[in-house]
Amino acid sequence: MGNILDILGGIFLVVGSLSLLIASIGIYRMPDFYNRIQVGTKASTFGLLLIVVGVALISPITWIGKLIALMLFVLFTNPISSHVIARAAYFTKVPFTKETKVDKLHDVISEGHMKKVKNNG
Amino acid sequence: MDNFILTALASVLGIASIIGAYVAIHNSKLTVAIIATGIVSLVASVLFLLLAAPDVAMTEASIGSALTTAIFFFTLNKIRQ
Amino acid sequence: MGKKTLIVLLMVAMAAVLYPLYESYQGSEQLTELGQYYADNGVQDTGAANLVTSVVVTYRGLDTLGEVTILFLAASVISFFLSFKKEDRKESREIRNITEILTTASQVLIPMIYMLGVYIFVNGHLTPGGGFQGGAVIASGTLLMFLSNPDFKLSHKVIHYVESTSGVVFVLIGVLGIFMAGGFLDNRILGLGEVNTLFSAGAIPVIYTFLGLKVGTELSNVLGIFVESQNEQ
Repeated sequence: MGNILDILGGIFLVVGSLSLLIASIGIYRMPDFYNRIQVGTKASTFGLLLIVVGVALISPITWIGKLIALMLFVLFTNPISSHVIARAAYFTKVPFTKETKVDKLHDVISEGHMKKVKNNG
Repeated sequence: MDNFILTALASVLGIASIIGAYVAIHNSKLTVAIIATGIVSLVASVLFLLLAAPDVAMTEASIGSALTTAIFFFTLNKIRQ
Repeated sequence: MGKKTLIVLLMVAMAAVLYPLYESYQGSEQLTELGQYYADNGVQDTGAANLVTSVVVTYRGLDTLGEVTILFLAASVISFFLSFKKEDRKESREIRNITEILTTASQVLIPMIYMLGVYIFVNGHLTPGGGFQGGAVIASGTLLMFLSNPDFKLSHKVIHYVESTSGVVFVLIGVLGIFMAGGFLDNRILGLGEVNTLFSAGAIPVIYTFLGLKVGTELSNVLGIFVESQNEQ
């Protein structure tokens, strides 16, 4: 029984590592920053999740609680952080590729996107 | 064999941190230099973890690569005004 | 050209000086006498499953007090100099609108990060970590709070009270050790309990809780001072 779980976990680990490899190839091959961060986030989140699932299958009893917490944390933080980074890059005017046709964020955000905040002191 | 893998990993991490430090010193953009400093801290924390010092690794990861980088950026922003 | 050659020559000379050190290095298989003592008697003496913690808080507790003092001084100096010039502290600051995604997600993430910090310092005597690490994690949660919610303001009063209270309690526990146990910062003023359970190791969890609160509030305060003097362009 444990043997089957080991094999399954190994398969998950290999597929996860392949996904991470695809992510790094994508980061190298993509033409501009926005494509790179998109590829990097999607493939690396997927790969990381597969690896965590693989580890959970190999040693289910001791690690499962912590691994579920880890999975939730990765699912939360990874997309949000890259969303924030991409947004910051957009506002600091990191250039697009020449093939870019649609820029929907530009239509949404007009002049009034700055905000005043009061300090307490 | 196990020892060899550990040594190889440690050497790779050491070389990565040297490259990070070189970038931090010689890059003309200050933002790149700050991020390179953060990367050096991150690599150092992984190295501490490899050398079986998880306490130090936690301190290095949270203070070195998170808080210090943020404070550097705040200061840089303040200087530029 | 001359300068670069000099640098290369200097590096080669350094390598030549340091190479014999590398060549003659032999990793020692045995602990030193002091380390052997800690390894043999640490668990019985302090009741802490994490030996590093028992050294940091009990055997070398005075040094930890010194470290806390250094951190306190650094935070005080930063807050003194950054609030000294009145024109630096602006009435208000202009920032870009923050995305709804980050604001919503941080409402889930910030409690998780704070909980991780509290977990780290409460379990300091069982697992790696402790007051300093937990405090730093808490401060990074505060940093996320600043980044995700521009209207968030640290209450300086609360920070001030939490910080001074935890500092005083830390020293008071140390002084209690003189009267009720073997010496300053002795953790045996409370029962040692069973090794490897949460309520064990005497006063170590109490000390680490207050240490974590102190470090967390200090670092958060430093971040807050920096954030208030920003003005994005």
